[in-house]
Amino acid sequence: MMFNLLYKELRLAAHPNLYIFTLLGVLVIVPAYPYGMVFLFGCLGPYISFMYGRETNDIYYTSLLPVKKRDTVKAKCLLMVLAQMTQLSISLPFAVLRLRTLPSSNPAGIEANIAYYGFGFIVYAIFNLIFLTQFFKTAHKVGKAFVLAIIPASIGVIIMEVLVHIPKFQWLDSVEPAIMLKQLPILIVGIIVYILSMLVAYRVSANRFQQVDL
Amino acid sequence: MNALSVKGLTKRYPNFLLQDISFDLPQGKIMGLIGINGAGKSTTLKSIINLVNSDSGRIEMLDKDFRENEESCKQDMGVVLGGIDFYNHKKLTDITAVTKRFYKNWDDEAYQRYIKAFSLSPHKKVKELSSGMKVKYMLALALSHKAKLLILDEPTSGLDPVSRDDILELFRQLVDSKGLSILFSTHITSDLEKCADYITYIKDGRLLKSAEKSAFIESFQHLKEPGDKSELSLEEIMIRTERRSYDV
Repeated sequence: MMFNLLYKELRLAAHPNLYIFTLLGVLVIVPAYPYGMVFLFGCLGPYISFMYGRETNDIYYTSLLPVKKRDTVKAKCLLMVLAQMTQLSISLPFAVLRLRTLPSSNPAGIEANIAYYGFGFIVYAIFNLIFLTQFFKTAHKVGKAFVLAIIPASIGVIIMEVLVHIPKFQWLDSVEPAIMLKQLPILIVGIIVYILSMLVAYRVSANRFQQVDL
Repeated sequence: MNALSVKGLTKRYPNFLLQDISFDLPQGKIMGLIGINGAGKSTTLKSIINLVNSDSGRIEMLDKDFRENEESCKQDMGVVLGGIDFYNHKKLTDITAVTKRFYKNWDDEAYQRYIKAFSLSPHKKVKELSSGMKVKYMLALALSHKAKLLILDEPTSGLDPVSRDDILELFRQLVDSKGLSILFSTHITSDLEKCADYITYIKDGRLLKSAEKSAFIESFQHLKEPGDKSELSLEEIMIRTERRSYDV
């Protein structure tokens, strides 16, 4: 059933922009670019899809299918996870390629290193938790949910990008294997925070959506 | 057995109260739900199918509690919400490809048959269909997963007289040949004259009367005025029941 719901999301509910923003994981190959933008694109893609879903009455369609009301929420959560994880997976080979082909560091901000991906999970987690729980209060006020979620997510990105310019935190900017090992806890914490935030987001959103009158 | 049984359905909104709605739709019959705009017809239908959370009441579909068996009940149900189009920019083939995955009784051959019979072009986009065609497409989907109960919210609103007659004729055929049960809301009384077996009348969120058509008409004959020679029609019943005077 979950596969069918995800299939519905991809074939009917997702806006083509979601695929484009997901592909923007490749931006980590740009020589000088604030790579934190990649994560914000990973938040923008789902937002546009949710807005498109509202305009195409996607929630009504799903609610009439022989599924539980909370499965409508589960489908949206799965779509977000799929898009964001795909985005990270797409960016990975380009991060390695950049390291091999462009020896100079990224002057615009953080390198696409292990700490970067750890922060990425945290940025996604902040956005998803606020966006999903706000949206499913009404299942139609998508703009308000986006504004409330993108502000803290952007602050997270700015902190990450600024931090590496402070001498004390320059180890966060390193792509040396030994130092990247030191960054590993950030990635682990990021993944844990992401998983926890999605579980809470699903639970709270599903309970809120249960109360919504369509 | 009743296809649908509604008992004591109540829904409170800040500015509207749907109160204690009860009726039974026997299997193989068509019931028209009538009332003026804003009377509570859509709220009733949406509460039945759980799109709206009712405050109290019990819904039974084919002797099963709907709330407790929502998924299996929806397998046997087809719903058409008038005025709500899904995925306007998608082709019918895309919507069908997704929809069929959710129904265990989906019959592809039957779907092809209905698409042909209703002259639907599967490669058209939803927005390219006329209002009548949209209703027919939704019916084709419902019939292809062998729905036993159809619930339609104002399926004939906005249709020209010929398309309206076409849809109502189709309802009659589906009930007579396949034993389907249909509950549809309308404010067009001629729809009821044409095809309803039972009528349920809602006024200001309350149930005024639910009965078999001839008994329903009979029960409103007290509204006759001096000079009325023949039996009151459904339209006259509705107009006289709803008539207001303004102190202006």
